[in-house]
Amino acid sequence: MANNREILISDPTLRDGNHAVGHQLSAEHIAAYCKAADAAGVTIVEVGHGNGLGASSLQLGESKTPDHIALTTARQNLVKSKLGIHVIPGFATIERDLKPALELGVDVVRVASHCSEADICERHISYSRSQGVGVWGCLMMSHMISPALLLEQARKMESYGAEGVVFMDSSGHFLPDDVRQRVETLVNGLSIAVGFHAHNNLGMAIGNSVAAADAGATLLDGCARGFGAGAGNAQLEVLIAVLERLGYATGVDLYKILDAADVAEELLIKEIPSIKSVSVVSGMAGVFSGFMKPVSRIAKEFNVDPRDVFFELGRRKIVAGQEDIILEVAKELAQRARKGNE
Amino acid sequence: MKPECVERTRHDCLRILDGRDKELDPLRQSELVVIGGTGFVGTWIAEMVAALNDGYQFGIKLSLISRSTDQFANRLPHLANRPDIALIKSDVRQLGQFPSNADWVIHAAANPDVRTHASNPLDTASVIVDGTMSVMRTAERLGRLKKLLYLSSGLVCGTQPATASGVAENAQGAPAPDASFIYANAKRFAETLCSAARAQSRIPVLVARPFSFVGPYQSLDTPWAQTTFLSDALRGHHIRVLGDGQVVRSYLYGSDAAYWFLRILTAGQSGDVVNVGSPAGTTLQDLAQEVARNFEPSPEIMFNTAPRNAGRSAQLLPDTTHAQNDYGLSVFTPLEEAINLTAQWHRMQNTRK
Repeated sequence: MANNREILISDPTLRDGNHAVGHQLSAEHIAAYCKAADAAGVTIVEVGHGNGLGASSLQLGESKTPDHIALTTARQNLVKSKLGIHVIPGFATIERDLKPALELGVDVVRVASHCSEADICERHISYSRSQGVGVWGCLMMSHMISPALLLEQARKMESYGAEGVVFMDSSGHFLPDDVRQRVETLVNGLSIAVGFHAHNNLGMAIGNSVAAADAGATLLDGCARGFGAGAGNAQLEVLIAVLERLGYATGVDLYKILDAADVAEELLIKEIPSIKSVSVVSGMAGVFSGFMKPVSRIAKEFNVDPRDVFFELGRRKIVAGQEDIILEVAKELAQRARKGNE
Repeated sequence: MKPECVERTRHDCLRILDGRDKELDPLRQSELVVIGGTGFVGTWIAEMVAALNDGYQFGIKLSLISRSTDQFANRLPHLANRPDIALIKSDVRQLGQFPSNADWVIHAAANPDVRTHASNPLDTASVIVDGTMSVMRTAERLGRLKKLLYLSSGLVCGTQPATASGVAENAQGAPAPDASFIYANAKRFAETLCSAARAQSRIPVLVARPFSFVGPYQSLDTPWAQTTFLSDALRGHHIRVLGDGQVVRSYLYGSDAAYWFLRILTAGQSGDVVNVGSPAGTTLQDLAQEVARNFEPSPEIMFNTAPRNAGRSAQLLPDTTHAQNDYGLSVFTPLEEAINLTAQWHRMQNTRK
């Protein structure tokens, strides 16, 4: 099949992957993987705490490598690839976090919000745009609103100056038709590029990414070995191979991205992401993939079924940043179970 | 404001008025009120009035009504401190203090910033719709009113049909009825209010539909192509073009626009609708190159790789046949000169002594 279409590849292995190791990636990890990804010709390499710039905290997990060291290290090891950061307004402030990050040589800023809260991105997008770097808007947990409402939020990001909008399947909930419908709605309603970020809870990350490309998305995210929150992301080296077979041009060298994935497996990844039972439930319930570890830990502590915790979190429409609710839910389920036994 | 910038904008106005001042004779010894008078259009009208009064002894008394008079006074003391210009701080929706002897009124109050439209669509609509209602109610009480010019928008007819070379005043299209087009829809309804005020209260109101402008006084923070390209270049960055650069727009220089508005106000008939803009289209790619030519070293131009949506019209240009044939209006400052003047002005304004 010949598509003759170009797909930009953005690689958040060193950002989303940080979720999978409790934000414990070191400067050495960053240097080694950046070198490998750069050699492979990955367009954008995203670096930082799992929740992005300035997010290292007791509640969200403290980074082993502070932002300025992570970015300096990445900058030193990226020659062709662009250095990207994930920025959630609130975690990252302009003066304290964004400005110093840009001074360290960041090329692409991806400003993210919950799918229905694009308004909070206005200042961060405008500021980044005024500094002459690439700016994308990211709408997280995009399964929680309809395609029409997603377009409304994406249009806000466009008006603030974003040069593209990435919608994120943060809980790995989508099926290919869901993705196709959203990409088509965004492509038809925006003048800027559309991108997609997949998670693999239901084993659909590659299929969903292909559906996105077929429907007109021009940027896809992928992580080496799928290294990312929960069940992981679209496995980058597989994505490159599949896109190559489908005739899309990514500019990424297949052998070298396979080498980069080997580097990631050897140095970065303690446990290759797999679709565990709770991941399936997380995907079904539409709960952020990054909740897998805390949900498993807290469920064990309260002796409740983590699958019940996920479905309850999904019912309450809990999103990233509300991790403290996991405890509340587990406690309530435990109390309910006790009452049931009495 | 740097003296050399003040001098430059005065020169821009006198250049336009040379040989054309007679066309504005009805303004002599009259009182003009501009509501929403401290934005790009209001400021250029103030510059033009100052030039008419100083250079041609027109004796116009100008009042600028705005919520932002304090910022205007700080930014532009050469206009704010003039005895022939009065600043009135007021929200267009509550026009308490209004010059009762106004001969001419220009209603330009609206926030054109697309970021505000996206984040605050209800407020955007309120300023335009409630504001226009308030202006019409106020106009009913003006005994000397000769004409009221409402500044609508070139967007009220929706997208330009693929077969048309420009959007004419009588184009039948309309913006889609959703929040993304709140500004255009509110402006469209405000035009209807103008028509209703004419029908019910005999207010002599006519409509100008502005398209895109360029020039000094346009904030470089706004995310429009021309301001973003200039901002990128002035900061020494690459010029970043969103999309493939094949979108076509046109730009009228600030002093040209001010003259057009005053000419339409004084010569127009109640009920008329006139497009205001340049009919000379340029792709954003060419615009970026034009901006780049004014800087040394010339900034690199970067394109976003997003393919343009084939179903979306890439062109929005005014059909200015009516303005040309019936008002004798044309583009006095070609785009190359407009970009050059704007770049120079910003450089002068930002240069430290």
